[in-house]
Amino acid sequence: MAKTEPYILNMGPQHPSTHGVLQVQLELDGERILGAKPVMGYLHRGIEKLMESRTYTQCVPYTDRLDYVSSMNNNLGFCETVEELAGIEVPERAEYIRVIVAELNRIASHLIFIGTLMIDLGAATGMIYAFRDREKILDLFNIICGARMTFHYIRIGGVCADAQPEFIAETEKFLEYVPKMLEEYDHLMTGNEIFYHRLKGTSPLTREDVLRYSMSGPNVRASGVDYDIRKIDSYSIYDRFDFNVPLGTNGDNWDRYQVRFHEIIESAKIIRQAIDNLPDGEIMAKVPKVLRPPKGDVYHRVENTRGELGFYIVSDGSTKPYRVHIRRPSFVNLQALDTMCRGMLLADSVAAFSTIDPLMGEVDC
Amino acid sequence: MTKYIRKEQIEKLQQQFPGILYDAEQAKPAIYVKPEELLAVLRYAKEQVSFSFDRLSNLTAVDYKDYFEMVYHLFSRRYFTWLTVKVKLENHEAPEIASVTSLWAGANFEEREVYDLMGVNFTDHPDLRRILMPDNYGGHPLRKDFEPLVPKIEGGVLTWQKQNHIS
Repeated sequence: MAKTEPYILNMGPQHPSTHGVLQVQLELDGERILGAKPVMGYLHRGIEKLMESRTYTQCVPYTDRLDYVSSMNNNLGFCETVEELAGIEVPERAEYIRVIVAELNRIASHLIFIGTLMIDLGAATGMIYAFRDREKILDLFNIICGARMTFHYIRIGGVCADAQPEFIAETEKFLEYVPKMLEEYDHLMTGNEIFYHRLKGTSPLTREDVLRYSMSGPNVRASGVDYDIRKIDSYSIYDRFDFNVPLGTNGDNWDRYQVRFHEIIESAKIIRQAIDNLPDGEIMAKVPKVLRPPKGDVYHRVENTRGELGFYIVSDGSTKPYRVHIRRPSFVNLQALDTMCRGMLLADSVAAFSTIDPLMGEVDC
Repeated sequence: MTKYIRKEQIEKLQQQFPGILYDAEQAKPAIYVKPEELLAVLRYAKEQVSFSFDRLSNLTAVDYKDYFEMVYHLFSRRYFTWLTVKVKLENHEAPEIASVTSLWAGANFEEREVYDLMGVNFTDHPDLRRILMPDNYGGHPLRKDFEPLVPKIEGGVLTWQKQNHIS
């Protein structure tokens, strides 16, 4: 085979399939990828620094802007960290509502994953289907908190508004719709031969790779590593629910798609159980107006849609955090991009970006 | 719920590395390691079967105005326990510590972030460049004594300059 001179191709920051403003420097030999270097920082807002000059309560809306398609999980992570720091007990009902909205948000985020994966591979119809169904979840959020994105619904000590009977009824209606929705996707996407051959066997990551790169979330589980924080290091009340952790075997694009697809089913299962056991009572703990957590530091993590979202907060006893560090899953996961793309064709790189599922709001923080 | 490393285990670590300090009073114990011993301690904690802290969950630094503190959160996928390792860097002007990328390749971006925003230099890091801020940026924003720089275009090149305070 004739060798051509390798060259660098800048993909992004303005490219539809980089999911925001990610720039990837691809080193190419003809159509073969020899290396991929992610370049980021285009969306850097300095949230960690901003939080140092805000009170704990004022920090919560900033977490919405991290991973803006699964904000509920970010709110949950931050609020739980502050609660652990300040020793606040959250009422039962609030815990259940938190789980319901967090899992609904996980489904919404996975639907975006499916939709964008489809459009990146050239199937615009698939995207329309996924976004249509995500809209149903956003309507549910609209009922419960009045916002479709950047909710700021989970607050320190509980949630800001109670789940009305209307919300519960609509959520139940949505849960009935989930199996029908997934069956439709099965016919339309999973069973599609072009879709299958574009994803199967491309960009594989081995068990060793994902562990070496400290990856987390569905990307890890697609490679067969049983690492779901909801199971192994349970937070909130996740230990009360019965659900499975879908695992892949090959760690290729197809497995990453399948794992997320099956996580939708598991999330629906959790929501079902949470609604069935939803207790009555308070939705907000007694939180002092001026929150002054004692001196100390806490690292707490939750399973965000994209993986392990950790918050490290150092308190100096004042009303503002001394230091906040956010461990963003997308940021760490992106390191595997080089391994994924190496040896693949240029057209496959788009599928690799899509299935690693980075979100630039979170990567750049 | 979250489990932390048991005190007997910390004492076992201490026997191996006498330089380790730890506050027995705290409910969530963190061990303090000397900078030159860091790699050896982390390797021991990672590779010994009785510890198996095989996952570097989080890596960050905190600026305490007269010194820096590196914080490593390790998690054991075998025993589901946590270990917090802290390292005090006395030199506030030019803090320096060994990179842990030889143990966890995934620390690469996180160390670059700490280098970029805090100005901690990591020795033996494969690719130590700025990651979030522009390449020609002149400061480290997460330091407590940081003053924001203003962008200025000179001769078609974007540069970053100190603000002129109105006095």
